[in-house]
Amino acid sequence: MIRTSTLLRMNGLFKSHPNAVPLPNAALDGRGGDSPTFRRSVDARLIASVIVFLLVLGLLAAFAPSFFRLNNLTNILVQTSTLAILAIGMSVVMIGGGIDLSMPANMAISAVLGALYMRVGQDPVTGSAIMIVSGATIGALNGVAVAYLRMIPFVVTLATMTIAKGACIWLTNSVSIAGLPESFGDILLARPLGIPVAVLATIALTLLASTALSFTVIGRWLYAIGVNERAARVARVPIERVTAMSYVAAGLSAGVAALLLAARLDSASANMGNDGVVLDIVSACVVGGISIYGGIGRAYGAVFGALFITIVSNGLNLMGVSFYLSLIVKGIVIIGYVALDGLSGKAR
Amino acid sequence: MTAEPFLRLDGVSKRYPGVVVLHEASLEAYRGEAVALMGANGAGKSTLMNVLGGLATKESGAIFIDGQPVSLRSPRDAAANGVAFVHQELSLLPTMTVAENVHADEFPVRGGLLAPEIMRRRTTELLARLGSKLPTDIRVENLSAGDRQIVEIARALRRRPRIIIFDEPTSSLTGRETTRLFEVIAGLKRDRAAIIYITHFIDEIFAICERVTVMRNGRTVASAATGSVTFRDVVHLMLGETDNIVRLGKTTAGDAADDGGDVVLQVRGLSRANVLKNVDLTLRTGEIVGLWGLLGSGRTELLRALIALDAIDQGELCWRRNGELLSVTPRELRRFVGFVTEDRRGDGLFLPLSVETNIALPSLSALTNRLHLIARKKLTRLVHSMMERLRIKASGPKQPVGTLSGGNQQKVVLARWLATNPRLLFLDEPTRGLDVSAKTEILKLAVEFALAGGTILIISSALEDLMRVSDRYLVISRGAIVAQLPGAATADELKLAVSDDSSRSELSL
Repeated sequence: MIRTSTLLRMNGLFKSHPNAVPLPNAALDGRGGDSPTFRRSVDARLIASVIVFLLVLGLLAAFAPSFFRLNNLTNILVQTSTLAILAIGMSVVMIGGGIDLSMPANMAISAVLGALYMRVGQDPVTGSAIMIVSGATIGALNGVAVAYLRMIPFVVTLATMTIAKGACIWLTNSVSIAGLPESFGDILLARPLGIPVAVLATIALTLLASTALSFTVIGRWLYAIGVNERAARVARVPIERVTAMSYVAAGLSAGVAALLLAARLDSASANMGNDGVVLDIVSACVVGGISIYGGIGRAYGAVFGALFITIVSNGLNLMGVSFYLSLIVKGIVIIGYVALDGLSGKAR
Repeated sequence: MTAEPFLRLDGVSKRYPGVVVLHEASLEAYRGEAVALMGANGAGKSTLMNVLGGLATKESGAIFIDGQPVSLRSPRDAAANGVAFVHQELSLLPTMTVAENVHADEFPVRGGLLAPEIMRRRTTELLARLGSKLPTDIRVENLSAGDRQIVEIARALRRRPRIIIFDEPTSSLTGRETTRLFEVIAGLKRDRAAIIYITHFIDEIFAICERVTVMRNGRTVASAATGSVTFRDVVHLMLGETDNIVRLGKTTAGDAADDGGDVVLQVRGLSRANVLKNVDLTLRTGEIVGLWGLLGSGRTELLRALIALDAIDQGELCWRRNGELLSVTPRELRRFVGFVTEDRRGDGLFLPLSVETNIALPSLSALTNRLHLIARKKLTRLVHSMMERLRIKASGPKQPVGTLSGGNQQKVVLARWLATNPRLLFLDEPTRGLDVSAKTEILKLAVEFALAGGTILIISSALEDLMRVSDRYLVISRGAIVAQLPGAATADELKLAVSDDSSRSELSL
């Protein structure tokens, strides 16, 4: 499924030793002084994650040396990109104290709509635009329902998820939509400087989201809402607008994920957003130090979490562990992190 | 009367980070009698009762029941020692029935299954003791406030308590329901229970309590038989000595404020169902107006309604803009008014966030560069200047505000609003929980602000703090402004204004 040609220049990213893995280190060094969050608790969780991450890499080095082959490493980064982009969107919503369960279904319906158009129109630009606009629109609907109509995020997005999923299957009859224009795949699967577009897009979105969260007014407002909505209202934060925007951001990221995944699969189908994906997204966020209680976390943490989740799955697979056993391991890891989050949530 | 008190709390102390809430507080209660526990907002009476109810732990001191020292670490411990807590209505489960609510902490079980008939029978018996024939299968959400109160009491009585705490039981009751409650309490006294009665309605204690204990600033300041004190004595004890109040500087506003500065805010006929009644209000530049009323008078609710934190039913607001008084909605007004809230930790501060973010939040929009990103330099400059101006003691602008002392936390809230250059500030209990020097600093900042032409509407349960800064007073009671007093008003006049209805109507003429 994944093309693994010209990989050579990927060498620089993942060098020899697990300690040189760039993401966790960047996560630690890049915490900066500008964070509006409670730094100590972020660091505690991220450090815990990084330690577990290094342990996993150590285990892989011992039991599945093939993991460190360049091909596999590039695959992992490309595989991670979808989850990472979704997790970035989810982290924005979670920092504001909400949750968006509809993201994978949103991704699927957006991909399907774009693909249906492209199959006929053969126009990759309009097709891509349709995917992104569709994602943002569904996000906006969630946002309006949660922020202005005061509906519970969990319920609203669960309902949106069901609607999007139903629409997907109804439109496609569960058949995947293939026959996309070649130029679509050509652009999105290109590897400028040997780095896949999906990876570049993930890096760009990480920077964009991190900047927006830490250095824009609306980003700081979002943290304030997540920490204490009542206090935010007194402090003149336009709660409705900011909350709605956070869901639009999640929808946008679902749209971008739809684009990249459709290109990678060279098709779109209702299966793209299957049931396990929501859990993976939330897990990526929690592992990456984003609190399910809101107000704490960074976008790059979510990306690290996505990498973590993907590597655990992939590594267990390489070690010959059954898929179902790997689900069990994943579940246990997640419970551990949520427990950690709960403990520090109480401490607040 | 027994010589030895049945319940004795002795030298109970407790502190929260940065605030001493109980300082060697004491309380005695006798069987067959009710003792009123009185105190202004923040005096520590709720905390003391939480210690007795096993909901809070004390740091030092001792509790004796029937002469025996007891340790009350949880509500279960308290119940086992015969202490029952009648909370305000909120602790009932609205979607469950009366019988279920009465038994919620220990459902009767037979053969591993719930035994509803036992539950019903016991509930009926308990209700009968309270003179109530309430059906046991009705859901609590369908009951009136008075009936809920009865259910609450039935629940408390189930374990045959010897000590019963009533926490503001009448605050949402009608007159007739209150009368019925008093009969119930009289019945409990005949059954030799020791009653502790907390209320903000002073007249009630003369109707049903044998003794009164008054707390102030976490200390027990007086205990006496109700027969030997007057209404005014109780008010005086609650509010404390107010001699030698030194005014902090003099603001430019004259005492006869009506011919003072320009009108900044004019309010006509502001109403909110059951909370605010037809409130008229005029605030002028450079004056500090004390909004004087007891807890439950609607004083905080008035501030919240003015800036759309609570909805209003009707009312007209006018705000001075460009030299003209123009009509404004409460929601718009929020953009112009700084609000230092009563509950600093609940809706004032973002405790885990930094001093910097807490100060800058409402000013952020003005601190951006051309790319709409927050301009680091502008932000730092603003935060530094505010920290310096208010002398905020923190390790730096990055320190989480939750780790500061109470006084410095309050300065952060004040700094936040001063940074927005407001013309009007609402201060709700700005000195609560602060030590003497922090209090003075906060009040001085308020006076400075008014001297620079700002206007302040201030609430304080500490009369002496209010008197140190106010240019005039608006007296609020049961949601209505009932009197205006000049800045020269004495402490006695102010106390009288909130003491009883006859003088209140006199003053409002």
